[in-house]
Amino acid sequence: MKTLEVALQIFRYKPHESAHYDTFTVEVAETAHVIDAIDAVWAVHDRSLTFRRACHHSSCGSCALLINKVEKLPCITRVTKVWDGRTPVRLDPLRNFPIVSDLVVDVTAFFQRMSAANMEITRDAEPSLPLTVEDFAIAGVPPKAVQIPDNLSRFNRFENCIECGICMSACPTMAADEKFLGPAGLAAIYRARQKTAEPRTVAHLLGLADGEHGVWRCHSAFECTEACPQAVDPAGKIMALRRELTARRFKQFWKR
Amino acid sequence: MENPFAEEPKPTAAWLWQVFTGIGLVILLGLHFIANHFIAKGGLRDFADVVAYLRNPVILVLEILFLLCVTSHALLGVRAILVDLGLSEQAEKRVSQALTLLGVLTVGYGLWVTWAVIR
Amino acid sequence: MTALKYPKVQRAGRWFDVRRRRLGMWAYAVNRITGIGLVVYLYLHLAVLSLLSRGPETWDSFVSMARSPFYLSLDVILLAGILIHGLNGLRIALTGFDVGVRQQKMLFGVLMLGAAILLAVAALKIFGG
Repeated sequence: MKTLEVALQIFRYKPHESAHYDTFTVEVAETAHVIDAIDAVWAVHDRSLTFRRACHHSSCGSCALLINKVEKLPCITRVTKVWDGRTPVRLDPLRNFPIVSDLVVDVTAFFQRMSAANMEITRDAEPSLPLTVEDFAIAGVPPKAVQIPDNLSRFNRFENCIECGICMSACPTMAADEKFLGPAGLAAIYRARQKTAEPRTVAHLLGLADGEHGVWRCHSAFECTEACPQAVDPAGKIMALRRELTARRFKQFWKR
Repeated sequence: MENPFAEEPKPTAAWLWQVFTGIGLVILLGLHFIANHFIAKGGLRDFADVVAYLRNPVILVLEILFLLCVTSHALLGVRAILVDLGLSEQAEKRVSQALTLLGVLTVGYGLWVTWAVIR
Repeated sequence: MTALKYPKVQRAGRWFDVRRRRLGMWAYAVNRITGIGLVVYLYLHLAVLSLLSRGPETWDSFVSMARSPFYLSLDVILLAGILIHGLNGLRIALTGFDVGVRQQKMLFGVLMLGAAILLAVAALKIFGG
């Protein structure tokens, strides 16, 4: 197996200390991804390095950060793509989020936005949630006694968004306005809106998007769509919401 | 914990006005430019030309519409930049009020100059 | 849990930092910068118009100054700002209503080409007389 040596310049921050950069050199496989190099730094050089990683195949969204100042998922970015052999690969945490430690950012406000759009994370609902009568039978519950919650579909979502936060980091309006719903929040509202025809839910979702910190705050930089690793196209969703909101306003205006 | 993003905010129309005045300007500024710099002989109107120009009622209406459009669009733009500085809600309100006042003063001034010319 | 002190998150000047950014971000920054320039110009222009209230002599002498090559060059720069801001603004209006979003980059290219052509034609007229 061919290996290579790569130098990483990593942002470091601990509470009560000032932020700085540390440079490490590690040996990884030639085919390694950047996350493998970060793992190696942690394992070999500095156990206090704090970072997030999980699935290693761009479906959990945990590892998002800035590689050479551009938002990327290190688990699918090959070292050879970003390492020129000389300049250390620069790693920074995502922009526009409070920094907890080193490369880990506080995503509380991010998930509050998703929750507002009815896109909660329900970890303990997957896959151990009993979904069918058969599942309950295995646990010894007779069929007649089974009660399955009728809004189960909200625990199973099929969507491109992996909630990695990259779009929020790339967005210039997120940099300026901490109350902005952001590309992720607005795209989530759009997805939730597409899934329902119930008028009050639709009105509520559109209402969330209609404010000073909603769709109207976007400045059409399109950085979110460019940076998204999963083809969510948040910019397109924001524009689609704008169209729907404008059409509604016109209709209300004519009805008066 | 309360979710600050879950409450429906007040709807806002600033961006929509920005776009409508912008489209208006493509037309009105285009007309203003052509009338004052490409139709006018030598590309600029001397005093007598300006008087004759503004005394035309159609022109007068268009120029006043233009003044309203350009002032709104410009100050809405300034507001967008200032609001991006991350102001508190209080400060945002003050900024909007100050810019509205500036807009009224600007339009008032423009109307005064126009009146001073055509009388 | 005690509240941690994080480094400051919000950076208002971030729109200005176009390094490593893509076309849409550049277009946004250019629109902001031309917009600021045009607001400054608007108020200068309105101030200059006060000369009209001083009568024909004052205004006419200003006009003859405004015919100098230096002034005309400034006018061409102004026109460049207007065309860039206006045509890119049309792109923002269109995409903002969900028209041409997938083609936003090409739209920018086409509109800026249009701006360049109009500017060239106008500059010829301005200096050609």
